[in-house]
Parts: sequence; C-alpha cells; structure tokens
Amino acid sequence: MRLVRGLGIGALALGLVAPFTGSPTRTQQRGLDLDSIARAIDEGSDHVSARQLAEWIRDRRPGLRVIDVRSPAEFHDDAIPTAENMPIDQLAKSRFAPDQNIVLYSQEGAHAGQAWVMLRSLGVTQAVFVPGGLADWREEVLSPLLPANASPAERARIADLSHYFGGAPRVEGTQDGEIAGAAQTGQRSRRRGC
Amino acid sequence: MNDLLIAGGIGVAFGWALECAGLGDPPKLAGQFYLRDFTVLKVMLSAMLTAMLGVFWGGRLGMLDPNALYVPETYLLPQLVGGLVFGLGFVLSGLCPGTSCVALASGRVEGAATMLGLFVGVLLVGLAFPEIEPFYRSTPHGTLTLQRLTGLPYGIVVALVTVIGVSMLAWIAKREAAR
Repeated sequence: MRLVRGLGIGALALGLVAPFTGSPTRTQQRGLDLDSIARAIDEGSDHVSARQLAEWIRDRRPGLRVIDVRSPAEFHDDAIPTAENMPIDQLAKSRFAPDQNIVLYSQEGAHAGQAWVMLRSLGVTQAVFVPGGLADWREEVLSPLLPANASPAERARIADLSHYFGGAPRVEGTQDGEIAGAAQTGQRSRRRGC
Repeated sequence: MNDLLIAGGIGVAFGWALECAGLGDPPKLAGQFYLRDFTVLKVMLSAMLTAMLGVFWGGRLGMLDPNALYVPETYLLPQLVGGLVFGLGFVLSGLCPGTSCVALASGRVEGAATMLGLFVGVLLVGLAFPEIEPFYRSTPHGTLTLQRLTGLPYGIVVALVTVIGVSMLAWIAKREAAR
C-alpha cells in the first residue's frame, strides 16, 4: 500500500511539474506553418542585408548569433567575424533560445535560405539569413562601392563600417580592379540575384 | 529481425503484466461494467499515466521524439459505432483482444472462444470492406489529441490528466479500503 501511495505521489509530482518544463519537443507542431513563412518572405522579415548584419555585429546587438552553415573547411578559409560554424546537418540537432537573434549565411545565400526554412519547420522563428551570403559580405562590407552621388555623410558611414572590419571601400568611377586603400585580390564579379 | 525480437519481448512482458493484474479472468473484466470490480480501470489509468509521463519526460530529457510516435487518425462516427460494438463484445465475452490472448495462454477456454470470434469478425469486416469503406472514412478529424482539441500547451494537458487520473485511482483505493 505504501508502494502504491508512493507511485501515486510520484506520478502526481511528475505531472504537476510538466507545465513548467517547457515543450518536450522543439516543435510544437511538426511541419511548416506556410502562412507565416509566406508572410515573412513577403514582408522581407526573413532576411537581412550584409551591411545591416555588419552594423549589428559592430554595435554588439544583444542576443546576436551569426551562424555559418558551410562546411568547416570553408569556414576556416574565410568567415564573417564573430560567426560560429554549424553545417546544415548539425543545425537540425541544435537548440536555440527564444531570445537569440540568429543570422544564417552561406557562400552565396541559397543554403542559408534553405537552412532558414529548416529552422522554421523546427519552430525557430527568430532567424534571418543573408541573401547574398559571404559574397555579399565581401562586396558590401569589405570592399563596398562608394556611390558618387551619395552624400558625404552616407559615404563616410559606409567607409567607416568597412574600415571597422578591415575592409577598403572602392570609389565609383574607378575601374573594378582599382581599389581605394588596401589591395583586395581574388574578388571576381559575380551574377547578382541568386 | 531485431525489431521483431524486441516487439516479441515487449509483447511477452505486456501479457505477463496483464496476467499479473488478473486481466485474463473474464468475470473480473465483466465486473468493471457492473461496477463491481475496478481492476480494469486501475490498470488502464496507471498504464495511461505511465505512458503519458514516460513520453513527456522522455521527450523532455531528449530520449525520444514524441512527434515520431504514430497517433491514429480520428473518424468520429465510425469509431463511435466501432467502440460500441467493441464494448458490447467486451462485456459479453469478458475479454478484449489483448486479454483474450492472455486468457488463452493461461489455458482458459474463454480466451480461445473470444479469439475465434475476433478472427471471424476481422474476416467479415475485411470481406465487407468495399461496401462499408465510405462509412469507414466518414467524419474525418485528422490526428486529434487533447492539446489540439483544447488548444492548451502539452505540459498543462499532462498535468490535468495526471490530476484526474491520480484522483480517480485514489478514489478507487479509498472505495476498496472501505469494503
């Protein structure tokens, strides 16, 4: 009888603690919430530009977590400062706190976009991705083109941001190869829009 | 092959537990319907609580994925009719499909009779299936769970079911002690 009572009390304790332990799964409901995904894509709240990300990193935005979804080899070769490497297969197994601002990036953006959908399907809604990936980072942050028609303040803002990350802005009107400031090699022009 | 061995082991353990609980005994089972004997309710409630808390905490501790468990879909009307037919057979024979195997294993002839009825019923439904299929698939509600039905978080549902289950078990224990 004492054993039965003990079991009953144990079950009651386990049951009553259950509401305070959070969900046993990362996904409240398995599968994609297509409406919210469509809305996020429509509003553009699914992505962030490389330059915006650079400002977040520079301003030490609270809870920012930059995740590189490429392979470790590519990550060691070159990566966005403060980023951590988490290849796609690891991403699905990881846990993310609700207060983290996750920014995903890949080489050109396609894999990061796919990773974004994966995280959405796992119930992680506080993630964004960089559409142009590391290529955009190089082009918009490390060696941004300073538009000739922009105001001096705007040009200074872009240049400052670039210098913060050790980059060198290019001045519009000069040849693509001629870079104002430090030499930047290995930068090929690429097709936009992917 | 390995899965079959594991399933076989679990099946033997399940049958053994049912037999230990006395559920191979038809009068005992029928007694539940006349509110004379609450063994069936006690076994069902404790099994439900164990499974529910096991799945919840197993999931919480990362030992299993509750979403990977198969939840049968709800077809309200056909399942209501099926439940009534099942209940009628249960009270008439004093055995359900699982306990009929247990009863047969422990040498009761009622077990064999019930299993025979079970297989005849399965065969008849199988033969008539093309005719009854539209009814079989009527009033679909998808996978209906308590948390989907009530909109409450999983943890709250677990707590509520635990409180209800343990209260019922305590009430049964008190009732039995009073005798």
